[in-house]
Parts: sequence; structure tokens; C-alpha cells
Amino acid sequence: MHDMSTHAVPHGAPTSFIRKHVFSIDHKVIGKQYYALALLAALIGMVLSWIMRLHLGYGSLAIPGLHLLSKNGAPGDVMTPEYYLQLMTMHGTIMVFFVLTTAPFAAFGNFFLPIQTGAEDMPFPHFNMMSFWVTFTAFLVLVASFFTGTGPTLGGWTQYAPLSAIGDVGGPGEGLGVVLWAASIAIFCIGQLLGSLNFITTTLDMRCKGMSLMRLPLTAWAWFITSIMGLTAFAVLMPACLLLILDHVAGTSFFRPSNAVINDQVLPGSGGSTLLWQHLFWFFGHPEVYIAIVPGLGIVSHVLITNMRRPMLSHRVLIYSMGALALLSYMVYGHHMFVSGMNPVSSLAFSFPTLVITIPSTIVVLIWLGSLYGSRLRINSASLFALGFISMFISGGVSGFFLAQPSIDIMLHATYFVVGHFHLVMGVAAMFGIFAGTYFWFPKMTGRMMNETLGKVHFWMSFVGAYCIFMPFHYLGIAGNVRRYQAFTDDYLIPLIPVHKFITIAALFTGFAQLIFVYNLIHSRFWGKVAPNDNPWEGTSLEWSTATPPPHNNFGDKMPVVYHDPYQYSVEGASTDYVMQTSTEQLKNTDEEK
Amino acid sequence: MMTTAADSKHSTGMGKDLIVYVCLLALAGIQFFIAYQNISTSQMFVRMLSVAVIEAGLALLFFMHLSENRGLKWFVLIFTVAVVFGMQYGWSDSFRLLDGVPWAH
Amino acid sequence: MSQADLSIHAQVSRTGATETMTAPTFSVPAKKMAMWLFIIADSATFAGCLVAYGFIRNATPDWPRPFHSITNVAIMTLILLTSSLTMLIGVRSAEQGDKAKAFRFTMITVALGILFAVLHIREWMGMIGEGATLFHNPWGTPLFSSLFFSITGLHLLHVTGGVIALIAVALKYQGGRYNADDLEITGLYWHFVDLVWMFVVPLVYLLNLAH
Repeated sequence: MHDMSTHAVPHGAPTSFIRKHVFSIDHKVIGKQYYALALLAALIGMVLSWIMRLHLGYGSLAIPGLHLLSKNGAPGDVMTPEYYLQLMTMHGTIMVFFVLTTAPFAAFGNFFLPIQTGAEDMPFPHFNMMSFWVTFTAFLVLVASFFTGTGPTLGGWTQYAPLSAIGDVGGPGEGLGVVLWAASIAIFCIGQLLGSLNFITTTLDMRCKGMSLMRLPLTAWAWFITSIMGLTAFAVLMPACLLLILDHVAGTSFFRPSNAVINDQVLPGSGGSTLLWQHLFWFFGHPEVYIAIVPGLGIVSHVLITNMRRPMLSHRVLIYSMGALALLSYMVYGHHMFVSGMNPVSSLAFSFPTLVITIPSTIVVLIWLGSLYGSRLRINSASLFALGFISMFISGGVSGFFLAQPSIDIMLHATYFVVGHFHLVMGVAAMFGIFAGTYFWFPKMTGRMMNETLGKVHFWMSFVGAYCIFMPFHYLGIAGNVRRYQAFTDDYLIPLIPVHKFITIAALFTGFAQLIFVYNLIHSRFWGKVAPNDNPWEGTSLEWSTATPPPHNNFGDKMPVVYHDPYQYSVEGASTDYVMQTSTEQLKNTDEEK
Repeated sequence: MMTTAADSKHSTGMGKDLIVYVCLLALAGIQFFIAYQNISTSQMFVRMLSVAVIEAGLALLFFMHLSENRGLKWFVLIFTVAVVFGMQYGWSDSFRLLDGVPWAH
Repeated sequence: MSQADLSIHAQVSRTGATETMTAPTFSVPAKKMAMWLFIIADSATFAGCLVAYGFIRNATPDWPRPFHSITNVAIMTLILLTSSLTMLIGVRSAEQGDKAKAFRFTMITVALGILFAVLHIREWMGMIGEGATLFHNPWGTPLFSSLFFSITGLHLLHVTGGVIALIAVALKYQGGRYNADDLEITGLYWHFVDLVWMFVVPLVYLLNLAH
């Protein structure tokens, strides 16, 4: 029968260096490539935030060598107001797209989703390879804007029109910089489409014998739900970016209003809509928030369960909650636009689902807390970061209740309150999810253990540091400190400068902690303690039943067969504290999924 | 060689295809007919869109064989409808610059 | 059963079930599922474009209505709908094992697709001849032609891609490398292109008909 093509094309292990490590079609190598890209992007984004914080905290502080990055942007090593905005835009874009989307979803998902479903590889390995290289190209295009024309765009990672659509009149980087930005994001969207196709088909069609959907671990579910969001959200962002490029290169005016006066110039334009950009952008933008955080929910649950030695209170409810988050994420995007001049009736229509979406989030948190209560949690770097994730998710989420209401949001929207909110709930929480995943899966990915002492130091410094940075942001916001300002010269802002100094010091401190992590990562990769066995954390899911690191086709000669739920810990009557999914042991007194 | 239901799933219904094809042509014709009616643009929009949705439904269910796969049908429908409905929030804003106030009519 | 049978070279049935794998969800194998997912993503893309069109149209007073004749677009619609039917006949023939007929009808679909594209480009050339470009047109707000060319251009791009894909798949099908399923999957895409046209015609053409 000539039907092999309906399933994954089996491929032999590559032999040449290029096919093995560069243009590899092995999902595990691609996962590591994504991780490396995210790490590089995170370091760049972090350095950008340092430069910005130094500028904010210490006025016109000269940062040695800054003029090397941009002669016009930082003459005499002191950045211009415009350059501050340019760095801010790049910090946001790099962090949101190339770290928060790339690391928890594309990196870990690529490596572990096929292993957790019991597949040899994803169904379309070549698409998978393309998805990484397309994403990498997008990153290069974005970074290239640092070194071309008048530098990167200054419009913020949301690129609000009309500023983003009017060309060089808008300031440095608003011409070529925006075009490169939009091109980069459009290319990124293609990479995400290819990735999402693979993720969804892997989950639906590439499960080993016995692996029903409900027997998939929570991480697999999280990646599956995330890829469903990614599939459609990025599909809307791409045409939006293409229209924006047309506004620049083809003379159209989709997002350029008539007779806009900017920098004392009346600009040509023929009645395009500035609000349209916001609608299209945030239609992508809000699902994007959940694309960044839902994999974290999965990773944290997975890590906690393994270290609590018992399953969550309800496997199903956690899955349904993540699904509800995904569904609702398409209906709440307008809460980013309460101050945009949007129709007030829409504000009401967006406010209600925004408050509703807190219900599944709260359910997830309550399940975590309820499951943690009374458990004997094994404390290690991974479980600490998982706990840290919960803490950040709650702290950042609670301020979401306030911001969900238009009347309060109008006061707080343009202030540091919002900056604190989304950095905690989306930025730091998602980063903690990445760290938890890294410490947890490092032995499986490399065959070596990470240094636990350094890991704990990293956690406590990051945890304390992150709160020291982002909690004061909330106070600043309530005090009326407007965001996106590059200097605080108004009378009511001058008394707040000491707080900014404190935040700057905290940021440098927290950033230093990340350097410890990078050292730990690289050192352990080459010289770390060799993992004692294939299952150092005594986990149950499929990634722990294969060799370390997994062979090219994940499971060697024999495909796994699954007999149990993903999290059979401390089952009464079982011979060990945990029952692997592949274990043939018969369990009594359980109501396992079919 | 395994034989499954899929092997025989399309064996019937060349006649059904033709009926659907004729229906689609007729519905397309109705759209062209609506275009020449003397009604307001919004009325015309609503009528045309309703016809287009019926057309799309026919194409999905019969040309693309969604009607034969219940699980896939609901997966595709819920997924697409949720996304497309999410996009409909913006409309009230589109009139604002003309009318000045929301819901002026 | 030998070890080799259990490993990666397991036989795959029409529904994608193998001896080592769970049957695919909804009995839809990965390739077909991927096409459905692509269609969902693509419909989000088109919906986004059409919403943008409607948004700007609503926000613009004196929206131009330059179309005087529906003959061309009616013929194009007829051609595209018919091509869907010929595609169906081709796929059914392939499923019944009639390779020659399947290839013939796929090629008729291709021809209809090319005819559609030619008519479409002819229409474009006519409009460009009257002075319409992406940023200017003689009938009113430039946004009309910006949106018209963008949306129909995106659709034309899909038609072109579909024609190329159909030719490639049909040739490989005839050569024995692809099977009826692959033809059906490509057919799904072709029907989707048709489906999008069902929305483009009323919204972009008929609503802009001069009265």
C-alpha cells in the first residue's frame, strides 16, 4: 500500500554537522535552537532595559560606549529622548516576540511535545526546520534596524498609528525602522504558522498507543491550546503588518488619517483609520498575552506535580480552564484600548468578558494552591521557580481586576501601573515558567544536572529583585507617573525620582542574577554533574521513560505504549511512589482516564 | 491492507455534488439580484452576507465533506466562528468619525 | 510480529492508524488536518482584511461605487464555482481508482483557475487603464482602490498558488508519488479559495455597484 505519506515521514539520523546541528529536522535540535535564540534575545532585551533604567534613574547619565551603538541616538554617550523610545520599542518587541513567545512555547514545546505524546517526530519535520529559520530571519531583520537609516522604530511594540504610518516625519526610525519592524513581525508570523501546524497535528494525530487526549500531560495540553491561539492570532497580525508596510512603500493610507498635523507639518493622507490598526493589532495582541503565559501554566503544573508527588486536584478542570482562557482571549482585546477614543459602549462590552476571564485564571490558581496545601513539596530550583510563577501570576493578576474596569483604567492606563501589571503577570511570570522548565528538563535535554546551589541563589535574587522592580511601578502609577517619559522634569514627578533610582538598582541586581543563570546553564552543559539516571526527578510522563538525551527517533527501537494517566503519584497499593505512564503495573482503586 | 470506512465514504453522491453546485449558482445569482434592489447599503450588506454565509456553509459541508465528520465539523466551526466573531467588536468605532457620537441613529 | 514492524516503518492505513500509534483524532490524518488548520488560519487572515475593508468603508463618507457591469465578475464566479465541481469529480475519480479521469479533471480545474486569473488580471488592467493605482483612483477616495487591489490581490495570490499546487500534485499523482488523499487535500484548498470568493464578490464588488 502506497500510503506512507499520510503519516510522519520517518527519517534516519543525520550524519553531517550541518544536517545535525544547523539545518536539522529533528524536533529536539530545533527546540534547542529556539532556546538559544530566546536566550540571545533575552540577553539583548535585558541589556536594553538596563540602559533605559540607568537613563531614567540617573538623568542624563553617560553610559560609556553607548555612542558605538548609535552615533545620532547617543551623542557623547548620553541618549537622546528619541533614542530612549527606540530602545524601549526594541526591548518590548524582542522580549514579547522572541523571548516570551519563543522560549516557553517554541523551545520547550518543540523538544518535549512529540516526546510526551509518544511520537518519533512532528508530522512535518521540514516545516519545523523552516519555522525556526524563518523566526531567526525575523530576528535578524529586527536587529538590523539598529544599524540602518535613523535606527529602530520608536513607536512602542504596539506601533500605534498614525505615528507608525507616516514615515520619517514621525521621528528617527519611523521610516525604514517601521518597515523593518513590520517585515520582521510578518516573517515571524509565518514561522509561528508553520510551528502551530506541527504542534496541533502532533497532539491530534501523533500519539502512541494508549495515549488518549486526556492522558496527555498538562504541558502537552498547554502547548496544544497555545498553538491553537497562535494559529489564528498571528494570521491576523500578518495582514495588518503588510498593510502597514504598504502605507510606507506604496503610498496607501490605510492607517493615515486625513490632514494629520505632526511635528508642525500637515501630512498627506486620505482618511485611513488609526483605530483600525489598534483593533487589528490587539486582536492579535491579547491572544498573544495568553500565548506567552499558557505554556507557563502547563510547565508550572507539570513541575509542581512531580515535586508534590501527587496529581492536581483536577486534571480536567485545569485543562478546561486553559481552554476557556484561550477562547475568551479573543473577546477581551479591547481592554487595551479603553483610552484610545474607542466607543464607550465597546468599553463596556470588553470590560465584562475581561472580568469573566479572571474566573478561569482564578480556578487555575486555586487548583494549584489547593493541591499544594498539605503536600510535602520537594524544594529544588525548578519547584521554587514554579512557586515564584504562582506568586507573580497572582500579584500581577490582581492588578488586572482594577485595570479591567474602564473608569479605573482611564486613570491608570498611561502610567507605570500598567507597566508594573504586565511585567509581573506576563513578563516575569512567563520568565519564571521558562526558568522552572529549564531547571526541570535540563537533565533530559543535555544529560547533565544544573547546579542546584546556583539555581537557588538565582531564584531568590530574581524573586526579590523582580518584586523590588515591579511593585514600586504600581505606586508610581498611582502617583501619576506617566509611562514612556524619558526624563522626569515636572514638579509632581521630581519627588518620585528616588523611587526610580531604587528601581534602577533593583534592575541591575536582578539582571546580575540572570548572569548567574547563564553561567550555570553554560557551565552545567559542558561540565555539570552527569545525570544519575534517565529519570532524576522520578517523573511519570513519557519524556522520563526514554534515554537521556533521547535518541534521534525519541524512543529507540520500541515505540512506547501508555497504560496510565500522566500523573500517577503516591497511588495506594503501587510498588513505588510513582507509576510511569508506560508501566504495565495494574492499579486498583483508581478511576483512570480511558 | 486495512480497509476502513474512509474507503467508501465518497462512493455516493455525485448527484448530491451537482445539486449543491446548482444551489451555489442559484445563491450566487440571488446575490447579483440583491445588488440591483433599491434598498439601503446596510440592508443590502445584511442580505448579501446572509446569502454568502449559506453559500459558505454548503461549500464547507458538502464540497469539503465536513458533513461526513462530526468531530472535525465542530472543531472547525467552533474554532473559526469564535475567531471571526471576536473580530466584530470594531464596527461601532468605524462610524464614530462620521457620526461623532455612538449609536447616533 | 518482528521488532521491525513495531518500529518506525509501520504500515499506515487510510485513516492514519498504525500498529504503534493511537488513531488520529477525528480520523483525520496529519496532512489533511494541517490543511484544515491552514484553512482556519487563512480564513482569519481574509476575515481580518474584509473587516479592515468594512471598517474603512464605514468611516469614509462618499465611498465610490465605480462598477457599472457585473458581467465580468459573474463570469468569474461561474468559472470558480465550476472549477470546484470539476475538482470534486477529479477527487472522486481518484478515489475510485480512475487515474486518467482524475488527472484529466484536475487539469480542467487548473485550466479554469488560469482562466479565472486571466479574467481577473484583464479586469485589473482595465481599472489601471482608467487611472486606478494602489494610492489613487478617478472615482473618489484612494482607499477604495487600495483596499480593492489588496483584497482581490490576496485572493488572486491564493488562486495562483492553488493552480501551481494543483499542477504539481496532479503531476506527482500521475507519476505515482502522490495518491488520492493528496489530491483531496489540495482540493480542500481549492474549495476554500472558492469559498473566500463567495465573500469577496458581494462585499467588494456588488456593494460598490453603481446604481
